[in-house]
Amino acid sequence: MSTQTRPRTSAARNTNRAPRNGRSAQVTRLMPTWLIAVLTTFLCIVVLVPIAYIFLASLNTDTGVASGEFWPSQFSLDSYSKIWGSVGLGKGIINSLVVAGSVAVVSAIIAIGTAYVLVRFSFVGRLTVLRGLLGLQSIPGTLMLLPVFVLFASIGAWLGITIIGTLWGLFIAYLTFALPFSTWVMVTYLRGLPRELEEAARIDGASNLAILFRIIVPLSWPGIVVSGIFAFLLGWNDVLFASIFTKPDTATAAIVLQVFSASQEGGAIPVYSQMMAAALVCAAPVVILYFIFQRYLVGGLTAGGVK
Amino acid sequence: MSSEIAGDTLRDEESHPAGRPRVPKNKKRSGVTERDRPLWLLAPGGFLITVIILVPLVLALYMSVIDLDQYTLRKWLSTPFIGIENFVEAITKTELLRSIWISVSFAVIATVVTVPLGVAAAVVTQNPYRGRAVVRAVFLVPYVLPSFVVATVWRTMLQPDGIVNNILHGAGIDPGLWLNGPMSYWTLIFVEIWAAWPFVYLLALAGLQSVDHEVHEAAAIDGALWWRKLREVIFPYLRGPVSLAFLLGTLNHINNFTLPFVLFGAPAPADVNVLPILVYVTSFQSFRFGLSAAMAVVSLILIAIPLFIYLRAVKLDVSEDGGKK
Repeated sequence: MSTQTRPRTSAARNTNRAPRNGRSAQVTRLMPTWLIAVLTTFLCIVVLVPIAYIFLASLNTDTGVASGEFWPSQFSLDSYSKIWGSVGLGKGIINSLVVAGSVAVVSAIIAIGTAYVLVRFSFVGRLTVLRGLLGLQSIPGTLMLLPVFVLFASIGAWLGITIIGTLWGLFIAYLTFALPFSTWVMVTYLRGLPRELEEAARIDGASNLAILFRIIVPLSWPGIVVSGIFAFLLGWNDVLFASIFTKPDTATAAIVLQVFSASQEGGAIPVYSQMMAAALVCAAPVVILYFIFQRYLVGGLTAGGVK
Repeated sequence: MSSEIAGDTLRDEESHPAGRPRVPKNKKRSGVTERDRPLWLLAPGGFLITVIILVPLVLALYMSVIDLDQYTLRKWLSTPFIGIENFVEAITKTELLRSIWISVSFAVIATVVTVPLGVAAAVVTQNPYRGRAVVRAVFLVPYVLPSFVVATVWRTMLQPDGIVNNILHGAGIDPGLWLNGPMSYWTLIFVEIWAAWPFVYLLALAGLQSVDHEVHEAAAIDGALWWRKLREVIFPYLRGPVSLAFLLGTLNHINNFTLPFVLFGAPAPADVNVLPILVYVTSFQSFRFGLSAAMAVVSLILIAIPLFIYLRAVKLDVSEDGGKK
């Protein structure tokens, strides 16, 4: 009756179990030290040089960045104060937080209910649903954009409400696109939970819902957090749907950031330094979330197998 | 099929009001109850996925065979049926075939480069050393940064007067344009690789952690050289993760809209006119909705090949007692 998880899932959840004494480090060594050093240095440079550039450019002046400086001839924090006025980045960030945050909460709630049924109960079509959860993650967004747009416009016209251009439209779209992955993450998580507690509760007369809320949910916080965060990331990182489904006052952070490039194509003076500052501000919530929950997220990612 | 399930579920809800404590029935040893299934819990997700994914998928198929443009969009239900004309036009009169070639070659090159990079990164962080946690965090950075941020940053660095050209000038190289003209294709590949290799790294890391300590010891006793050990002992463990990385990486690259969109704008330069951008521009800048739907359907067919392999290979159901009724 053991529920075995897939190898890569269990491996990802385990920390490195190899003993840390010197001899076994020798045994598990996969490469000579010099090669490890060379490769590690190479990869770190490839990653860190552009990152250093973003920080330096955001502390530079717009003209300094435009003239191709790496090290600013003049440090200033001006870009960080200008970005709030010039394109309304604050509003964009609030819109993104509202949409992505509510998508995270609602999709986690729906996902755990769905996953509970998929893992613990049998019904006709269960495998089809599981396969669908995986398959739907790879449907190209560009295929969905037009029909969802037409659907929202038609439903809106039929009900006499506006959907396109509101945060509700974005919320519904992101929520649905987040569900396959969020649910799959919960499915892999719930499979790892022992059944004994549930069985004991069932013998004591607990209903399915009581089991879900009193036993499954408290035990599943790591999985719930992971599925919520991935849903948040989907909303936060999307450009495709936001570029069509928003108006200027409902634009998300990702769209506001594009305004910098657009204004520059319109012939204005390039505001590269502000752009880099804004890019950092847009990346900050995601990076912070990632590094707080790094351990859970890495396991969750490999469990789901998709970004 | 999913609507069926949703229907099923709703009926179930009516017959068993939820939340009422029940007397446990005779249940099987397995713990899976067949009678008290709270299938209504599938309803919210099933409803959303049906309405916002499955219905639009059918709608996309329908749109690809009607003459839909900005004039007919308001009455799309009564737009004339034109059969495969959109497909014929897409193939003969548009950039579709060229875009397919760009997308596929770009995705394959990006995958072929990211896989060894990711595996190497996983191998070099396998043995503990002081500061390894920092290195692992650094390796995650490109993955963590939103695509639109990565693309914005590279776009800035690769401007004609930007930092990259400035440095290359300093080294006596005349670089030319990165974001336009023939080089833009390689720019796209480079930035995609920069952003995507940590995904392979994460998959490979999980694979490496499944290698038992005994395996290492056995190889050490045999006195295998490091590269032989790596190739013959360790890499077989990575076959699963690496195939997964190949499939999902290729799918992700082909589907990537954000990176080329932000890097080059839309409409994109001819050399980086990837499928997602072509579909997007055809609908929302040229307003040829029917034509665009036909292109999107073609791209779905393209995606379906690796997707099908993936779905066949994944083990869906690992618990022994579930799944069969």
